[in-house]
Amino acid sequence: MTLLRTPAPTDATPAEPGRTRLRRRRGRADRKPRVALAVTALFFALLYLPIAVVVLFSFNTIKSLTVFDGFGLRWYRAFLHDEVLINSLGTSLKISLVAMAGSVLLGTALALGLVRCRTRLGSVAGLIMLVPLITPEIVTGVASMLLFKGLGVTLSTGTVMISEITFSISYVTVILRSRVAALNPEVEEAAMDLGATRWQAVRLVTLPALLPAVLACSVLIFALVFDDFVLAYFTTGVDPQPLSVRIYSAIRFGVQPTINAVGTLMLAGSIGLIALALFIPRLFGRRGGLDLLSGK
Amino acid sequence: MTLSPPSRGPRRGRRAPATRIWTWFMVPGTLWMTAFLIASLVLVAVLAVGTTDSLGNPRFGFDLSSVRALTDPAYSHVLLRSLGYSLLTCVICLLIAYPVAYTIALHGGRFKNAMIAAIVVPFFANYLVRMYGWSVVLSDDGPLLRALRSIGLADSGTKVLNTGTGVVAGLVYGFVVFMIIPLYAALERLDVSLIEAGRDLYGGPLRTFLFVTLPATRQGAAAGLVLVFLPAMGDFVSAQLMGGPDQIMIGNLIQDKFFQGQNWPLGSALTMMLMLVLLIGMLGYLRRTRKDEAEARG
Amino acid sequence: MEATPATPAVRLDGVSKRYADSYAVRDVHLDIEAGEFFSLLGPSGCGKTTSLRMIGGFTDPTEGAVLLGGEDVTALPPNKRNVNTVFQSYALFDHLSIADNIAFGLKRKGVDKAEIRRRVGEMLELVQLSGQSRRKPGTLSGGQRQRVALARALVNRPAVLLLDEPLAALDLKLRRQMQVELKQIQREVGITFVFVTHDQDEALTMSDRVAVMNEGRVEQCGTPEDVYEHPASRFVASFMGTSNLMAGTYRDGAVLLDEGPALSVGHRDDVGEGTSVSVSVRPEKIWLSDFEPGMEVLRGVIRETVYSGPTTTYLIELAPGVTLSVLEQNTARARMEDRWIGGETVEFGWRPEHCLVLS
Repeated sequence: MTLLRTPAPTDATPAEPGRTRLRRRRGRADRKPRVALAVTALFFALLYLPIAVVVLFSFNTIKSLTVFDGFGLRWYRAFLHDEVLINSLGTSLKISLVAMAGSVLLGTALALGLVRCRTRLGSVAGLIMLVPLITPEIVTGVASMLLFKGLGVTLSTGTVMISEITFSISYVTVILRSRVAALNPEVEEAAMDLGATRWQAVRLVTLPALLPAVLACSVLIFALVFDDFVLAYFTTGVDPQPLSVRIYSAIRFGVQPTINAVGTLMLAGSIGLIALALFIPRLFGRRGGLDLLSGK
Repeated sequence: MTLSPPSRGPRRGRRAPATRIWTWFMVPGTLWMTAFLIASLVLVAVLAVGTTDSLGNPRFGFDLSSVRALTDPAYSHVLLRSLGYSLLTCVICLLIAYPVAYTIALHGGRFKNAMIAAIVVPFFANYLVRMYGWSVVLSDDGPLLRALRSIGLADSGTKVLNTGTGVVAGLVYGFVVFMIIPLYAALERLDVSLIEAGRDLYGGPLRTFLFVTLPATRQGAAAGLVLVFLPAMGDFVSAQLMGGPDQIMIGNLIQDKFFQGQNWPLGSALTMMLMLVLLIGMLGYLRRTRKDEAEARG
Repeated sequence: MEATPATPAVRLDGVSKRYADSYAVRDVHLDIEAGEFFSLLGPSGCGKTTSLRMIGGFTDPTEGAVLLGGEDVTALPPNKRNVNTVFQSYALFDHLSIADNIAFGLKRKGVDKAEIRRRVGEMLELVQLSGQSRRKPGTLSGGQRQRVALARALVNRPAVLLLDEPLAALDLKLRRQMQVELKQIQREVGITFVFVTHDQDEALTMSDRVAVMNEGRVEQCGTPEDVYEHPASRFVASFMGTSNLMAGTYRDGAVLLDEGPALSVGHRDDVGEGTSVSVSVRPEKIWLSDFEPGMEVLRGVIRETVYSGPTTTYLIELAPGVTLSVLEQNTARARMEDRWIGGETVEFGWRPEHCLVLS
C-alpha cells in the first residue's frame, strides 16, 4: 500500500523537470492499494443499500418488502391518513424544537463559561459535560426514567424534552467550546475599550461572532433529537409518543410498509438538516463545516 | 500641580473579577446537568441495592439481593455474550474502517470531503430506520443473500437474521462510522513525506505500512475502538431486530427488567454492571494513551 | 475635569503587576505629558504590554496607582476610562461593516445619529478609507485593517490612545509607510499616543520620548537622542542599535580593558576606583582616518569587511577576543578601491565624549 500519484488539483503547478521525473519513476513502482479500494467500494455499497431498500419499497404499490411491483405513492397516502403517526410527527417536532432551544441556550452559555473561567467549578462542570458522551444511551435513558418516577413525575412529552435537553447540552458544549476557544479575546476587550460593559461586549461582539456555529449546532441538535430513539423510548408517556418510538413498535410487531414511507421522509429530513448545518458556516463566509460533525 | 495621594496597598477585589460573569454563565447548565444527569445516575446506583415491595414497586434500602442475582449464570452468559459481540464488532469495524479511511485520506484527492460527508450524513439519519433497512437487506430472501446464492457463496439454508452474525452485522452497520472518523483524522494528519521516507528506509510498501503508517495511526484506532465499544455494549436494537432469543445482549436484559419484568432494582444492578465494564474499558484506554503520550515525549 | 497643562496625561505611580511567582511589571514610575508621542520599548516579556494594559484597564495592578489627567482610575473598568486602544491583532468586529466598527464607541456613548455619521466620515477620510465604509473587515488588507482599528479608537477623541505593537503584523515596506502616517495623524489630532513596540528603529523615528523597559522595570526614559546617545545602562546600550561593549576596570580616568589596552575616558566622579565597568562606543562614532587632536586613536587588524549598500561595516580586532564593529558611510567622496581589506592593520579612533562608561 503506497502512494497513488494521480494528478490531483494540488499538484497542478508544474514541478521542475528533475522532480517530475523522480515522481514518475516512483509512481510506476507504486501500486494502487487494490484491496483497500475494493473494501471501500463494497463499504459504500453496503452503507447505502439498506437506505436504498427503504426508499425503494416506500414507493412500492404492494405490501411486499421483497418484490417491487410498481411505482406509487400508496404508502405516503397511508401515512398522511394515519392520525396516530401524524400526531407523533407533531410531538417529535415539538420535542426537537424545545430541546434545541433549551440545550443551545444552556450549552452556549456553558461553552463560554468553560473556556473563559478557569476555576474549580469550571473543571467540575467540564467533567460533568463529558459524562453523557461516555455513557451509553440506555444508561442515561434508564437513569432519567428512574429519576422521573422517583420524583413522582408522570412520563410525558415534557419528560422527553427534559432528557433530550440534558443529553444535547453536552453536544452543544463540546462543539461550541472549540469555537469559543478560537475567538480572539482581544475583540471582547476592544468592545469594552470602546465603552461597552462586560455583558454588552458579550452580547454585541462575542455572540454575533459565534452565531454561525450556534446556528449550525442548533440544526444539528434538532436533527439528533428528532431521530433519537433510546432516550425517548425510556422517558416518553403512553400517548402521544414521539415518531421514533412509534417506528420502533411498528418494526418490532410486524412491519407495515407505511414505515418505509415515514422512514424515507425522515431520512430526507435528516439529510436536509445535516446539509443545512454544513452549509450555514459557508453562508457567513467561513470555510469548513465538517469539523462540526467530527467534533464529537 | 495637584495629585490625589498615591495609594499603594494591594488592590484585589476592588472591581468584579473578570471571571465572575463567566462563572454565572456556567451555573444554569451545570445545575441542570447535576439535577437531571448526575442525580439520576446516583439514583441508579442507589436503587441497585434497593428492593421491591409486594406490589413490585421499587423501595430504597440496602439489600444486596439484586447484586447477588447478577452472579446467576444466565446473566453472566449474557454479559459474556455482549462482551464477545462488542469486541468482535470492534475488530470488524477496525478491519473495514482502516482501508476505507486509508483510501479516502491518501487517495481521495479532491473528493475527500465529499466522501467523508457521504459516510457521516447517513449516520445522522434515523438509527431505527437504518437498522430496519439493514434487517431487510440481510433477511432470508433479501438482496444480499439472494446475490450470494446466485454466485454460489450461500445455499438455501444460509441465514443471517436471527443469528449472532446478524447481531454483529447490525452493530457494525450502526457504529462503524465512529471508527472511520478518528482513523481518517489520524491518516489525514499523517505527513505524506513520512511515508516517502519510509519507502526510502524500508523499501517495500508492506514494511512501510507496518513500520510507519500503522504506528502513526495507533491513537486514532484506539479512540475508534472506544467509540465503537461504548455504544455497542449498550445497544439493544440490533439484538432485537437481527437476533433471536438466544442472541440477547445486556441492553435487552436491562430493557426487559424495566418494561416487561418490572424488576427495577435488578435492572439498576445490571445497568451498574454495564457501567463497570465500560469504566474498565475506558480506564484501559486512558492508561494506554497516557503511556503513548509519555513515550512520544521521550 | 480639564487637566492643567502641568498635569501629566498618564501617570504610573509605583505600579507593579505580580503573577503567582514573578513580577511582570515592577515599581514603574512614569509621567506621560499631554500631546506626547510616548513609546514603551523593550524585548518581549519586558512588561511593556502589561503596563499598557494597566493604563487601558484590562489588567489590574497588584500595587500602585494609574492616574489619567490627574485622576486615579486604578479601580475603573476599561469602559469607564477615557482612553482607547489599538490592539496588536486589531480586534476588529468581523460581523460589522467598517463604518459600524468605527461607530461602535460613539453608539455606546449615545451620540446622536447625524453626529455619528459625520464623525465616522471624518475618520474614514483621515485614515484614507472613504468609499470603503460598507465593506467587512474580512475583505481588507493588513494595512487597511490597521487603519480601521486606528479610526475606531480615534473617533472617540480619547485623552490618550494606547497602541499595542500596531505595526508588528505588517511587512517592512508597509510598516515604514504606516510609521510616517501614524506620526502625521498624531500631530493632526493632537492626542497623547502611548505606543508599545519592540522595534527600536520604530521607537526612535516616531517618539517624542521613549521608555526602555527590561524585566519589568524602566531602565531609561528620555528623548530618542538621549536614550541613543547616552544610554544609562549596558542593556539600553545594547538594545538600542549596535554597540561595541568592552569589559574592563575603571582606574584614574581610564578603563583598563580585561583584554587589551587602557582607554582614557576622563575623570568620572560617579564611578569608584577599581570597579568593573563596560565601555561602549557606537560603530558609527568610530573614525578610520582624518583624526582630530584629542581623539583616542588605537590600532587593530581588519578581520572582515561587510558591504551593505550605503554603508560598509568593518570588524576590527583590537586585542585577542576583542573585536569592534565600525560603520563607514559609502558617500560620494568615498572610493570603493579605498576600502580596507582583511588582514590589514589600521588606525581607528573616537572623540572622548563618544566613549561611554556603563556600570
